[in-house]
Amino acid sequence: MTSHPVGLSGNLAPRQVMRATINQFDIAVWRSESGIISAWDNRCPHRGMRLSHGFVRGESLACAYHGWHYNCEGFCHYIPAHPELTPPKTVRPVIYSVIERHGLIWINPTAEARAHELPDNLIPLRTLTFECDENTALHAMSSTAQHAGESFEPGDTLSESPRIITVNTPAIANGIIIAFHQCAPHNVIAHVLVQNTLSSAAQIDVSRWLESVRRHAEANVSEYL
Amino acid sequence: MSFTLYNYVLSGNCYKVRLMASLLKVSYEAVSVDFHPGKAHKQEPLLKLNPAGTLPVLVTADHEILTETQAMLVWLAQQYDVDNTWWPAHNQPQITGIMQWLAFASRLSATVGELRLHTMLNKPLDAAPTRAGAIKALRELESHLTEQRIHGHPWLAGSSPTIADIACFPYTALSPDANIEHDNYPAIRSWLHAVRCLDGFITMPGIFELHTLRNPAGADASPLSDTVA
Repeated sequence: MTSHPVGLSGNLAPRQVMRATINQFDIAVWRSESGIISAWDNRCPHRGMRLSHGFVRGESLACAYHGWHYNCEGFCHYIPAHPELTPPKTVRPVIYSVIERHGLIWINPTAEARAHELPDNLIPLRTLTFECDENTALHAMSSTAQHAGESFEPGDTLSESPRIITVNTPAIANGIIIAFHQCAPHNVIAHVLVQNTLSSAAQIDVSRWLESVRRHAEANVSEYL
Repeated sequence: MSFTLYNYVLSGNCYKVRLMASLLKVSYEAVSVDFHPGKAHKQEPLLKLNPAGTLPVLVTADHEILTETQAMLVWLAQQYDVDNTWWPAHNQPQITGIMQWLAFASRLSATVGELRLHTMLNKPLDAAPTRAGAIKALRELESHLTEQRIHGHPWLAGSSPTIADIACFPYTALSPDANIEHDNYPAIRSWLHAVRCLDGFITMPGIFELHTLRNPAGADASPLSDTVA
């Protein structure tokens, strides 16, 4: 499997936990107090509780159900109901490979995680979830450029899987990249990266353009949104 | 006693007033109302206080009756916020922004709040459009918080927390009760976290304290610590 950009590094502060999905893989991603990031199967080995409901204490993730503490290597080292017990090394969730590059969190559930190389002058702007598939989102980007008078349009494809594209707009040359993460059949996440010199006003323009694309993309999917 | 609050522990709007009072370190008398299953708020003598039949109801020491939650936040801040930071009346542009989010908070109650009552207490409701309205509102909040972050402001209406944040916090935080998780709303997640870090923050069922802030590995390491492992 290829590595997937599941989220922005800046959206996972130290001592926070988030949930990521890559098709059938349900993943708890967390960052320790000192900044170490981990990605585990979202299931406590004890009773199956989602670890993404857990909480970080120092360099450990604790399950919300019975408070079992797991260190950054995934080993359980503390069971509150049996404080004297040294838990066996087998009490450990499934560990996935995770790296951070270009301000994105990349996870590969079946092999070593690798990042797609992108220009170094880009910073992550925001992440937007679309309630549709990747192709519908891409099509909406083209059609808003053609029919809704948007000055943004999709440019080059830098990668097919995961799909990473450039976006062209007259005001910002070579300055916008979108990395998609199709997390489920009808759910795609778009991470927007922009030039680190872009003004606040231009950043907000890009952000609002992507919201407009989402409205177009979802128009045929839900009668309500 | 400074005021009396007719209260129901599971109501996000009642919690809003309790939270604001706690942040301002004000003590008050809370009167429990049997909202469910008794529907006491729809009967006398509560209807005499509030003919609208809603909770919370706030009665001041001067017997003035407030029935709108957002107005209660304004009243609390005017009465007890000695530093004038939660409702900065002298700062007109900021007040305009706060008013915008106080009104928006009513949309959260009408969408997330109603869907939550439908999910938890089987309140009759056309769930699909209510859910769509809830997601629309949360996306607006997410976008605004993203733009605030671009401007370097972590809060809804400025660089410090105001009653706008407290007005919008409860039903946003409680959306998982209505089966809308926070996974797709990273800016909302950071903002919820910032509110929970405030000095004087209190909890309600469905809104937990930050266990990360408590002492490391101890006897109370789990929120369900009385459950047998």
